[in-house]
Amino acid sequence: MINLGEKLWQAFAAIKENRTRTLMSIVGIAVGIAAVMTIGIISQSGKQLIYAELETYGLNSLWVYRKWEDDSPFAKQRQGSGITTEDYLAMKKDCCSEVLRFSPVVYTQDWFKIIRVGNYYTKSAVEGVGVDFLEINNDVLLKGRNFRESDIRKRKNVAIIGQKVKVELFGENANVIGKTIRFDNIQLTIVGEINEKKRDFLNAIGATQGYDENNRVLIPYTFYQQLLGSRDIHTLRAEAKNKKNVNKALDQITSFLSRRHNNQYVYQTESMESWIQTTNQILQTISILGTAGALVALIVGGIGVFNIMSSAVLERTREIGIRKAIGASPQDIMFQFLMESVYISVIGGVVGIIAGIAILFIMIWWSGFMLSPAWFVVLIGLFVSIMVGIAAGYFPAKKAANMTPAEALRFD
Amino acid sequence: MITLFDVAKFYQKNGQYFSALKDINLQINRGDFVAITGPSGSGKSTLLSILGCLDRPSSGQYIFDDQSIEHASEAVLSVIRNQQIGFVFQSFNLIPAYTALRNVELPMLYAGVPAASRTQRAKLALEAVGLAARVDHLPSEMSGGQQQRVAIARAIVNNPSVIIADEPTGSLDDETTYEIMDLFTLLHNSGRTIIFVTHNMQLLRYANRVIHLSKGKITEQRIND
Repeated sequence: MINLGEKLWQAFAAIKENRTRTLMSIVGIAVGIAAVMTIGIISQSGKQLIYAELETYGLNSLWVYRKWEDDSPFAKQRQGSGITTEDYLAMKKDCCSEVLRFSPVVYTQDWFKIIRVGNYYTKSAVEGVGVDFLEINNDVLLKGRNFRESDIRKRKNVAIIGQKVKVELFGENANVIGKTIRFDNIQLTIVGEINEKKRDFLNAIGATQGYDENNRVLIPYTFYQQLLGSRDIHTLRAEAKNKKNVNKALDQITSFLSRRHNNQYVYQTESMESWIQTTNQILQTISILGTAGALVALIVGGIGVFNIMSSAVLERTREIGIRKAIGASPQDIMFQFLMESVYISVIGGVVGIIAGIAILFIMIWWSGFMLSPAWFVVLIGLFVSIMVGIAAGYFPAKKAANMTPAEALRFD
Repeated sequence: MITLFDVAKFYQKNGQYFSALKDINLQINRGDFVAITGPSGSGKSTLLSILGCLDRPSSGQYIFDDQSIEHASEAVLSVIRNQQIGFVFQSFNLIPAYTALRNVELPMLYAGVPAASRTQRAKLALEAVGLAARVDHLPSEMSGGQQQRVAIARAIVNNPSVIIADEPTGSLDDETTYEIMDLFTLLHNSGRTIIFVTHNMQLLRYANRVIHLSKGKITEQRIND
């Protein structure tokens, strides 16, 4: 048996002699690895981006509102949203062990209102909310303060605004706390501004339906109800204590509401958890399809390496005969050919990884999103390429090793 | 040293068996210088392949140095080829991408000789065949005679007891032929057993035994004086 360094040198020398053939198999493997990496980037980055943006809704968020597709014959007789201020106050007092906090959300059918400051105006979504809304919705105050219980109780004309409203009306660097904005001839004093929320990815895939979280004007729900002349709450927002018990929390809320309204209304519920599960399913499907595609690419590359190794064995039959005649054992020959195919595969793997990184940068440039490669996928890709190399090299190598020297030397 | 009992070799081709060797009984002693001759297709090369452990007999018994060969594993045979036998071929059979030095080092690689003594021994072997100045040349940069000298250096570098040569001068001109045969004589004088196949009747005089083959059978054996 010859030593390892010498074996590696021999394999490398052989590869140098067969440039075209080697290049072709390197390309085959590289395409496979690059495909695996691209799939990895898409599913991994997609997951990260979607999770990061879903988090901006609050991971334990719950939504409860009246189901308007209610097809019972009495539906039309029932006026209102099915949730009132009294329901909310009662709920806060003695309902729902699985719920951490509640907030009413009051709005009109046309969400967007014209908001003015002097001669400037913009169209923004106006929502009446409670004290706990910012917490539930995972909103962070950049400046100023949250609503106080007294703002709610006294129906005060104060507002918390999103970044887009601020920029449109005052400019980026303005100090807006204490300034006044007007909507429908009503003056609102700004008490806080919400930090920017990024939902570029969800916007890009159409999941936000054009609703911009940065273009909001929040006011006390009691003040908005007074303006609208109603005690209705249009959506009840809540935060579950525990992600696992989200459905239990929703059951508690809807059964409490149904009981108070003698089952007059049907309620629709949503939770972040269900969105996350849906997202996971979609991403899983993408991963499975992508992995299948990448596997096909790897198999094609592997078949290429197999062909190349087979023809290499055929072409070098005479050399194998010489080596055996001067004392190479079957293991020596086997190892030499295996090393050659492993070399080819590893080089192909590395080229594939470099190509994958190039694809990553192109994808970042093209999509504008900060994507990240899944390094474990890269490792798997490299491992698979070495395995493909060994598998593709094994049979030709075995064939070469098992020829009798006389047979191999006669070959031309 | 080498004993063949009733050795036969046949090949299967298109469902038909055809016999390359039959009823071969042969004894070769240590220090013999044996020439094998005969017309084309008489089985000379097949016999040489079997003697050199490059192939196995289809039937019969082959004993090399008290060891029975016909059922030995390929790994055992590779050690015998590496340690006990040196091969010289008509077409030299050097590895084209390797320099003379590397070609000569190759048998020692498979023997596991450390790098430093490998290079030293390869240089000595090349010196012995008169090619000290050509160590770094590729086979394509050398004449036929020089290539055959490299092949001989490769054959002797592991110090084998037997040198087996298949038409070693078949591709060389007359002058080089005699130089190579003189080299074999030198190797024989240093105690090695030499077995070579040739067409060239002029070369039979170098041997002390001549074996004549015809249609796969030994038809004549004689001893030279």
